[in-house]
Amino acid sequence: MAVTLKYPFVKLEAPPEYRGIPHIEPRLCIGCGACVNACPADALLKIDDHSTGTRKIVLDVGRCIRCARCDEACPTGAIRMTRNFEVATLDRSDHVEVVELRLHRCPNCGNYTDYTERALEKAFQILPEGLFDKEELRKKAILCRNCRRKLTVDDTIEASREVVG
Amino acid sequence: MKLRSLYIFHLDTGACNGCEIELFDVLTPYYDAERLGVRLAASPRHAHAMAVTGPLTRQTYYAAKEAIKAMPPKPRIIVAIGTCACSGGIFYNGYPIYRRPESPREGQEYPRRGGIFELVQDLRDEGEYVGPVVYIPGCPPRPEEILYGVALALGLVEKRAKGEHYTEEAGFELPEYPIEERIRLSLRERLKYVVGYFDREGILRDFMELAGKAESVEELHRLIEDYCLRNPDSRISLAMRVLEREFLRLKEKYGWEVGMNAKAPQGEVRGVQVAVKRDAGSR
Repeated sequence: MAVTLKYPFVKLEAPPEYRGIPHIEPRLCIGCGACVNACPADALLKIDDHSTGTRKIVLDVGRCIRCARCDEACPTGAIRMTRNFEVATLDRSDHVEVVELRLHRCPNCGNYTDYTERALEKAFQILPEGLFDKEELRKKAILCRNCRRKLTVDDTIEASREVVG
Repeated sequence: MKLRSLYIFHLDTGACNGCEIELFDVLTPYYDAERLGVRLAASPRHAHAMAVTGPLTRQTYYAAKEAIKAMPPKPRIIVAIGTCACSGGIFYNGYPIYRRPESPREGQEYPRRGGIFELVQDLRDEGEYVGPVVYIPGCPPRPEEILYGVALALGLVEKRAKGEHYTEEAGFELPEYPIEERIRLSLRERLKYVVGYFDREGILRDFMELAGKAESVEELHRLIEDYCLRNPDSRISLAMRVLEREFLRLKEKYGWEVGMNAKAPQGEVRGVQVAVKRDAGSR
């Protein structure tokens, strides 16, 4: 009698090393998509909408095989494995977790870039101090790829004119 | 109709046997699903519910269809056990997996398609009645998860899972750490090969605390020695020593003056020749 677990009628904690379902902490997520690239089962999706300028990071727990590769890949520790295992449901939409972030907008041409505003902030945080002129870099890094190329060419032409003329 | 007991027929649609092992665990005296009124039926003709495991291969598709059609017309509950049965799991884009033409293998839809959903949808299109589907994800789900799912089907427990949609309004924070972010990320990557993902964050947090506290390399070394003495786990002390060496190497590479409390060492430190301090701005 004492052997049997009373489980569904009492609360039960999983052991500390148990791999439960992953969870995205929306305050830390920068929408870089590293977890999406790492996920072998395609449980994570990165859906960009360039017309409205949003990026969705979608986690479907019903596809997740709990390998914790997203946990390994995440640079900010936003996606973590939890010990939660009570995820059975009759409706599959209960398994989906969506984080919707704004894409960065080029201030020159107004197009949306391929990265989020938060990812840009994170990139500036990673840059080492002293190696680059950060203010100068910030002027150029916020542009989209085409505008940046144009600016570089313009700068080069101007500089060469000064040398020649 | 309120079900008091559930006769379950177990159907394998191409599973790797992980979910089967967990399902048989549920029937052992330790978990004892029979106290919830759950029994295994020998034939689908006797079953209220069908416990499906596996990603639904093309070969098992027709047999599974026949088995579900052979069940009594009601309640025909489907219990999808495991990630494979829920959505195809790791086999989601394999060639032998059955998919309806309108649910593509490489789609961007969510919730993700695949698994027993495809068969249930086919049967509903044919006009067959199929009852509710209880999805129990997990690879494999532990016996408690299966018990929870079965109890959910019987109405004994409340549903806990809830879909979430977060937007920018949730707020944004970029945590600051005692050591530089790029060095932290490099150390984190290195540590993956020493301890794996599970202990990594805790060990790195402790190391950063020590590195932030240390005023010099000698003091850092002493603090780490103390830490290793306090934690007799050899894996943790190995990881700390690897971290210390890697940290010194990275600091040597990127310059000591950069956002660091620890002063640059002079001359030789424990057999490693380290350079005297340089001006980081000059590089």
